[in-house]
Amino acid sequence: MKKYLEIARAYMKAQLIWRADVFVDVILSVAKILFAWILWSILFEGKEQIAGLEFHTMISYYIISSYLFQMEKSAEISQQMTGMLRNGTFSKYMVIPVQTQGYFVAMEAGKLAFSSGIGFLATVLWFCLFRISIVHTVNLKILLCGIIMVILGLLFMALLNYFLGILTLKFEEISTFLMIKDNLSAVVTGAVIPLALLPEWMIAGMRFLPFYYVTYLPSMLFIGKCEDEAVTGLFVLSIWCIFFIVLNQVTYEHYRMKYDGAGI
Amino acid sequence: MKMIRTENITKKYKRYKKQEGVIGSIKGLFHREYEEKIAVDAFNMDVDEGEFIGLIGPNGAGKTTLVKMLTGIIAPTGGEIQVMGFYPNKLEKAFKRQYAVVMGQKSQLFFELTAEDTLRLFKEIYRIPEDEYRKNKNFFVELFQVQEIMDVQVRTLSLGERMKMELIVALLHNPKILFLDEPTIGLDAVASKQIRTFLKNINESRGTTILLTSHYMEDIKALCKRSIVVNYGRKIYDGDTDMLFEQYQKSKKMTIYFEHSVEPDVPEYCRILEKTNDKLVLEIPKQNTEKVLESYIGHYPIRDIGIEEEEIGSVVERIYKGV
Repeated sequence: MKKYLEIARAYMKAQLIWRADVFVDVILSVAKILFAWILWSILFEGKEQIAGLEFHTMISYYIISSYLFQMEKSAEISQQMTGMLRNGTFSKYMVIPVQTQGYFVAMEAGKLAFSSGIGFLATVLWFCLFRISIVHTVNLKILLCGIIMVILGLLFMALLNYFLGILTLKFEEISTFLMIKDNLSAVVTGAVIPLALLPEWMIAGMRFLPFYYVTYLPSMLFIGKCEDEAVTGLFVLSIWCIFFIVLNQVTYEHYRMKYDGAGI
Repeated sequence: MKMIRTENITKKYKRYKKQEGVIGSIKGLFHREYEEKIAVDAFNMDVDEGEFIGLIGPNGAGKTTLVKMLTGIIAPTGGEIQVMGFYPNKLEKAFKRQYAVVMGQKSQLFFELTAEDTLRLFKEIYRIPEDEYRKNKNFFVELFQVQEIMDVQVRTLSLGERMKMELIVALLHNPKILFLDEPTIGLDAVASKQIRTFLKNINESRGTTILLTSHYMEDIKALCKRSIVVNYGRKIYDGDTDMLFEQYQKSKKMTIYFEHSVEPDVPEYCRILEKTNDKLVLEIPKQNTEKVLESYIGHYPIRDIGIEEEEIGSVVERIYKGV
């Protein structure tokens, strides 16, 4: 475990090197919130509620969910893996005594620790600047469930992207898989539109999928909505995480033994 | 003790053969033709503990494929392979803790961080106890004289400095076997010599078994008592390095730079490779090198002179033809 913590620490340190990236990250988070403020102000003009949510609840939802969405950068894992497998540098992870899955998850955690800190500060700053009265749950258990769900959600996304990365060993070209995943997760995580705007049958179906619990449900939990789904959500997401940990291990071992492409 | 043992290992690759042009590309969507390439063919090799072995061969000879199989990165198609008693491709952690590999472009260093940061990471990855870590780090840092650059961002290091750091990272956990793929490529003469001295020291003082692949004859001659020559995936020579050069290296390349334009005499047994007003490049039969050198020094205004070993391709070709 200690080695994975050290891997995470190394990648976090590496993130702190590029000052321009740090500032751009802050500006982007701020710009996104500003855009949301303007957009929802227009949409709420003359209306009390949209999809059962009041303005402050909606803006709180949007800011929290966009913060969570911005934190999730695990697509880098699959992109990095596919690039390294094809240009022949991936083997450097194979020859050291670590589990590659663990290495990439730790790498992501290290990067995340940095970007989530920056994002959190920017979000708090904007809540203060716009004097947004943040709507949040007062139930500590629900808050805790929300935090655990965020961690599991990010873990799931990292595992999913690692799985897509492994597929390079079989298909060599995985950009189609990545595109499908990106589009699907943007819609299903509620980052494009709140899932409350979708028909009930569609949301019911999404409850069996992990994406529902990555951004949407934790955001709703934080604003004090959907509290009855918290425990079920944690259970479903945990099952998906365990499933992908096993699937990744099996798939990686299977394909790496068969793979002998020039670029490993 | 046998560190490496291979018996008739073979590696075959399947390659997609596409017909040229757009039509060929469209045809390829429906029907693909593959060709088989044998990268390593029935290769036998035994390596004892503490040996320093040179793996020589032209590009595409199968050296890297062989190293990949020995380190477990890829599995052989056939034959038997054992490294320190392990089947490499299982990639067991106990196996990976006992070897290190330094391969050209596959740097283990974090370019954004300092070498010190990477070393700290590898301490945890290999679970090196703090005392041992400090002892090893100090030993290598002193040996390489790199105290001044331990806290500098790796990205800003020169190629030679980076290779030194790469070797320190690789050796930090006291591996029993070190696989090296072209460690001196792109380095200047001074840095190459330092790397060679360092490797020799490690092999002698720590008993580390080293398998070195290199295109540079200087590396092989200076370091390896035993050499294995590979061509078209097959072993064509396995034995004493001195014997190899004695038997198959027939000539040397001499480059002479003159102070000003001259018209030098060239002995008839020498072949002119390049000639300009102030530069002369000759291929000289090995036994006549000294004689030619004496005939130029003192007789012509020489600015600089260099003597190089015959390139590896010619030696391999000669072994292959048996001449």
